Amino acid sequence: MSGADASAALPEAPLARRRGASLQALRRLSRQPVTIAAAAVLAVVFGFGAFVPELAPQGWNSIDLSPRWQNHAPMLSGWHLFGTDNIGRDVLVRTLYALHTSEQSALLAALVATLLGVAVGAVAGYRGGWPDALIMRIVDLFGVFPALMLLLVAYVFLEPVTTLKATLALALYLWIPVARVVRADFAVLREVEFVQAAQALGASGRRIVLRHLLPNASGTIIVAATSLLGQVIMLEATVEFFGLGVSSQIQPTLGNLIGDVTQGGVGPYSPLGLGWWTWAGPAALLVTVLVCANLVGDGIATALRPAGRR
Amino acid sequence: MLTFVARRLLVGVVVLFVAASAAFCFFASQYLPLRETPLLSAYWHWVQGLPTGRSLSHGVLYGRLLPAVIPALEHTLALLGMTLVLVVVLSVGIACVAAASRGSVLDFLLRAASYAAWAMPAFLVALVLQQLVGKVAGGPGLGWFPVAGWAGQCPGGLGIDLHTFKCPPAGSGFAYVGNAAYHLTLPAFALAAGFVGLHSRYLRSSLLDALDSPYVTVARGKGLPEHTVVLRHALRNSLASFTSALFSDFGAIFGASLAVDWVFQLRGLGWLFVALLNLNSTVPVIDAYALELLLLLGGACVLVASLLGDLVVGLLDPRVGFR
Repeated sequence: MSGADASAALPEAPLARRRGASLQALRRLSRQPVTIAAAAVLAVVFGFGAFVPELAPQGWNSIDLSPRWQNHAPMLSGWHLFGTDNIGRDVLVRTLYALHTSEQSALLAALVATLLGVAVGAVAGYRGGWPDALIMRIVDLFGVFPALMLLLVAYVFLEPVTTLKATLALALYLWIPVARVVRADFAVLREVEFVQAAQALGASGRRIVLRHLLPNASGTIIVAATSLLGQVIMLEATVEFFGLGVSSQIQPTLGNLIGDVTQGGVGPYSPLGLGWWTWAGPAALLVTVLVCANLVGDGIATALRPAGRR
Repeated sequence: MLTFVARRLLVGVVVLFVAASAAFCFFASQYLPLRETPLLSAYWHWVQGLPTGRSLSHGVLYGRLLPAVIPALEHTLALLGMTLVLVVVLSVGIACVAAASRGSVLDFLLRAASYAAWAMPAFLVALVLQQLVGKVAGGPGLGWFPVAGWAGQCPGGLGIDLHTFKCPPAGSGFAYVGNAAYHLTLPAFALAAGFVGLHSRYLRSSLLDALDSPYVTVARGKGLPEHTVVLRHALRNSLASFTSALFSDFGAIFGASLAVDWVFQLRGLGWLFVALLNLNSTVPVIDAYALELLLLLGGACVLVASLLGDLVVGLLDPRVGFR
């Protein structure tokens, strides 16, 4: 709840009702133990991933030159707990750095996509008319081709790919679902009485969008943004897996560490001699993050829209 | 219904044409053999060549493009068809069992499994199945299914007969179909797993809604056995929304099939697309015409699938009809 001036100007009832709605949603959320647990796991993993450079200051490219530590399987005693890759780099350290990179780019991409989607959707939904038609036709055009094909082309175009470029390319694709739902919400809300009242009082379009429509669409936006997180991670890992994205020699990500096992050879044959332990760790981490992100997204959706799924 | 199909096709072809034009202009400005030609004349040449089909086979790979793309399209369509069958059968089965035993341990386990399946990227399921159910040399696999390749193809010598050093023949007629299905089993399961996870959950929740409605109470009150109530009354009403969700997901299934195709080296559209894009592979240049053709095929597949989805929903649910 923001602003003392707003609460002074408005009568008490609507404010109390609004707080009640979000409190209710929170209460419904707290009654979902699975969602809470998933959110906790996600927070721990992401929090851990954020501090990887401090935890492993040697960096992801430090090589153990002793021949014993080339392509070594995981062992419980000794230096390299999760084994080493073909040239003697620690798999655990590389996996953690991969988590760091993937998490950073996923969060950034989801944020940029949400902001862009909300802005575009708000304009289209509130204005209606030709801006709406134009934006929706552009959205339709993006939907014609399968997402993965477009992203692969974009990755090749962006060569040499850096994590930042890849992140922005993903965000430039994923604003579309956000824009769709925000537009639909705004188009409905625009016709509601309190907006007409605000217009009658002479409120500017910007004020109506920011102070009246946006808070009322916040549930939709939160649901769209949380479901975006899982999609971003999944799509990015898939594109990286093809080996067209950032090379794991330059910057390990969860996708390219898994993809390395298929590189340069046919199917499962790894000419690099990479053992299963080089991709089992990143894969497990990826699945954990994705399961938790999906669970949290669904939990928030149920909490905010109680009439929805069960 | 015919007017519905005609209208949808017309709109779809127009949208596809505009999107393909945008993609072509992008490719033409970037890649051989059109990088040097002025954009407008290249585009005009392309548009003129569309009705005759010349624009579909032109380019650096002239004469070799269509012979490469047509079998690839067949492989991908076969994979997608088998996946769709698997998704429908498994989702309906799992959802019916889960909804009928709502709240039980079985229901909980099925739901947990479907969450896990949906969160696994298709390429990862493919890798794991390939290593565990196929037999990778030196690996722990069971060796039940071929590790890679289409029937009669042994990419990189995988699946070669160790006595004759020849690839086992694909066979012909029914033998070929069986052989192809045998090679497609693992890829189709890998591709289907995630979507079974997603759609069985959706179908379960819509079945639960249906099971709470008055007509189900009436059906139970008439003394019908529970399986008849679930299958004939509840499921029939949930099928329309299930079908429409499934077909609207087709773009995602198609995208995931590219990754599965790549892992299992099926020589389908995905493998071809990545090979065309990857400068380190056997194809030395990126060909604007070839990329355009593959994008067009992808778009056309999605278009046809969404049309089919609407048709099936219209047939299943008279309230929706053909609008």
